[in-house]
Amino acid sequence: MLMSIIRKEILSNLLSYKFSIITILSTILILVSILVMYGDYLLAMDNHDILRKESSDHSGIIPPTPLGIFAKGLDDNLCRPWELQGVGVGISSEQQKSLNNLFKLFTAPDLLYIIKVILSLCAMLFAFDMVSGEKETGTLRQALSYRLKRPILIVGKWIGGFTSFILPFFIAVLLGTIFVTLSPMVDINAQDWTKLGLFILSSVIYLAIFFSLGLLISCLTHRSSTSLVISLFVWTILVFLIPNLGNILACQFIQIPTAQQLDLKRKQIMNRVRFEMKQIPKTRPDYEKRLKELQFRTIKEGDQLDEDYRNRINRLVKVSQSITGLSPAPAFTLLATDIMGTGVAEERRLKKAAQDYKDFLVKLYYIDGTLDEESEQPKFHYQRSSVKDILSQGGLSNSLILILLNVLFFSGAYVAFLRYDVR
Amino acid sequence: MLKTIIAREFLNNILDLRFIVGLVLCVIITVACTIILSHDYGKELADYNIRVNLQDDFLSNYATRGRISGMVPHQKPPERFRPLIIGISGNENSKSFDDNPLPILFPSLDFLFIVTIIMSLLAILFSYDAITGERQRGTLRLVIANSISRTTILFGKLVGGAASLLIPFILSLLLGVLYINLNPNIQWDGLAWVELVLLTVASITFIMLFYLLGLMVSTFSRYSATSILSCLFLWVLLILVIPNVCPYISAQLRRVPSIRETERQSEEIGQAYDEVHQQRRKQVVNKFRSAYGGLFSKLESLGFGRILDDEIDDREKVGGLAAADPQFRTMVDAFRHELDQVSSEVRGAERQEVDKLWGDLNTKVAAQTKLAKNLACISPLANFVYVARDLTGTGLRSLQYFEKTKSEYRKLFWRYVSKKVEDARKNDPTFRRDTFLDLSDYSRFEFKEEALRGKLGEVLPYWGILVLFNVVFFVAAFAGFMRYDVR
Repeated sequence: MLMSIIRKEILSNLLSYKFSIITILSTILILVSILVMYGDYLLAMDNHDILRKESSDHSGIIPPTPLGIFAKGLDDNLCRPWELQGVGVGISSEQQKSLNNLFKLFTAPDLLYIIKVILSLCAMLFAFDMVSGEKETGTLRQALSYRLKRPILIVGKWIGGFTSFILPFFIAVLLGTIFVTLSPMVDINAQDWTKLGLFILSSVIYLAIFFSLGLLISCLTHRSSTSLVISLFVWTILVFLIPNLGNILACQFIQIPTAQQLDLKRKQIMNRVRFEMKQIPKTRPDYEKRLKELQFRTIKEGDQLDEDYRNRINRLVKVSQSITGLSPAPAFTLLATDIMGTGVAEERRLKKAAQDYKDFLVKLYYIDGTLDEESEQPKFHYQRSSVKDILSQGGLSNSLILILLNVLFFSGAYVAFLRYDVR
Repeated sequence: MLKTIIAREFLNNILDLRFIVGLVLCVIITVACTIILSHDYGKELADYNIRVNLQDDFLSNYATRGRISGMVPHQKPPERFRPLIIGISGNENSKSFDDNPLPILFPSLDFLFIVTIIMSLLAILFSYDAITGERQRGTLRLVIANSISRTTILFGKLVGGAASLLIPFILSLLLGVLYINLNPNIQWDGLAWVELVLLTVASITFIMLFYLLGLMVSTFSRYSATSILSCLFLWVLLILVIPNVCPYISAQLRRVPSIRETERQSEEIGQAYDEVHQQRRKQVVNKFRSAYGGLFSKLESLGFGRILDDEIDDREKVGGLAAADPQFRTMVDAFRHELDQVSSEVRGAERQEVDKLWGDLNTKVAAQTKLAKNLACISPLANFVYVARDLTGTGLRSLQYFEKTKSEYRKLFWRYVSKKVEDARKNDPTFRRDTFLDLSDYSRFEFKEEALRGKLGEVLPYWGILVLFNVVFFVAAFAGFMRYDVR
């Protein structure tokens, strides 16, 4: 019986106007998104090649990841060339995109955005009238007048509906991935394939949440128009409102100075130190030693400033995550960008690596004395997080949130359907 | 009869679930946003004051000719519309590796979000079944059976629907503005209130556009289910897809040379001209050596007394010799004059070439930005964002205006510093690049928003496109309804 319900659900969906329009929309959008972001990746690679050739000692730059085609996240920030300065770490060349200010007005249309915003809406539109719509047409009453159990009907509806919704998504993503893989400019290794697989898996879980939620709303209402209105409002709240409000709300709890203020404080330290350096008479026998001591003290003071700032940013991210914990969209965004190596965890890791590199050089130069201006400087090396790192950096908790919400909404729909008045 | 239809449409809407949900959502979000953003405005103002104080502290303690360049005091204050709209200035000009990553992942919530997402969606929800719903219920047939023209029905639906739709928007905006007005930290002048009125009118133009879009789709559909799907399809394309894709497409179509590559080329030009400069100076030295012989050797033995190189500090000795020997003085003056002429010629040519290089980059960037902006005009969201941001000084034009004001101030400030250096040199013969300069009487940088006339000139074409969208959708809805089969 379950198979019949699934087959009926898939067939009725395949023949519906809703299916055609959603399939056309999602396929076009996914393909356009992958094409556009592929072009963006090639431009970023060109820029990276130029910047890498120019990079000097005490500096670092990491290449853009091909996975950024699917989830751009913070990749533009991560791939900025930086250099160690007397105080702090500074960006040594402007981002190419900083030229066109229009990028600041709109969001990157990557696959992550398409899934998070548009496909989640499509999932709800697929499910909003699954129960209330059938009630209105009278077919639900007929179906339940036979020896058909409600649990089987709801499970069959979920499986059939979700399968017909997710299949076009898989086909479009597969086509896009084949296009990217066949390009000689993109080098995707085994690790990246695993990450891409995890990203698609998390996307399916995320979309299933909205599908279950649509079904739940459908089971709680008796008219599909009511169900639609509620679904759209809930979608707006979950996808836009909570994540975006969480961000500005978190800033109310954690005081963070602007980056300009941080820059100025660094400059202030540098100016004070240069002034103090002038005060040391060059004729003193311990001139070099005192100069080094002063420089060392300055570096430590700058590090303190940076550490304080980074701690505040980390706390802000945590608070924001706690506030937005109710919505699947932030958990999915954080999880997907972390999986693809373009997320907050990766950024934190890169900053830490840059700080460790600085500490290492400072130790060699000021404490061990094994490094001087003439000797060859150790280079900065960085490898993006492995799958294991991602899971330990908070990926697991975000995955759990998604699974939990899925279970919650499906159970809700299940219980609501058991109590549903089909008349 | 028109009044009756308007009243009926209005009553039907306000008693509907979507009106109640929309009203509650709008009021809660707008008020919450205004409170949070007003608080942010206060914090940003405090941050701005700290930055100004830090620069003042630098200028009063460490200002020397060599170090001023990185500390020219031109900080941007928070925009006055910050309690409603978050500006895009953010971390402008910051070369910091550390910045807040959250706004990139989760765009902030403000008045623009409320209008572009919530209100546009609400507008579609209000109108998608205006015609199809009535046809399905059979009431449209009954109404048309009376002596009422289709034009009256459509106008009635438009006015009644729009009036009920605008209630949540106007009410929530009024509450938000009331909070701003009562907040002692926010002082809006008359111009800001005028801008707010214009912003409200622009927002209504945008919201009405989506109401008309829903009405148009409704007149071309037979069922509400089809109508809502088509409306949402168009909404997704116009709001969520087109504006976001356009900058990326324009970046592909109009490539911009790499900034670093341009910097490198600029450095190469600088190095080439340094060599030319060196050669020309050598020629001048040889010319003077052969013209003045022993007298010039005296100057050479003093390392040219700061004429050629800043680091050599025999300026006083040269000055002493020049005072004692008028012939020596004439030679030094002629030598200095000729060197200055050579420098200005070489540096002028260098500047011209470098300016051409950066000019080329800027032209290409402007072409890319213009293409992206024009492409995005297909979407009403992009047009509304340009209008709202440029009107309230939170957009790209405001950034450009700030840059222009800043560059004018920089010129004034450098003129002031040059004068101070000149005076200091006159008063102190031992003056060096690292000698402290007293800049206590410098004129403070005060950023004033651009005049409304300039802003209006920029936004009117985009506003015009929004109005045009309204007209097109209305005409299409009208045509669709005239031919609509009410059975």
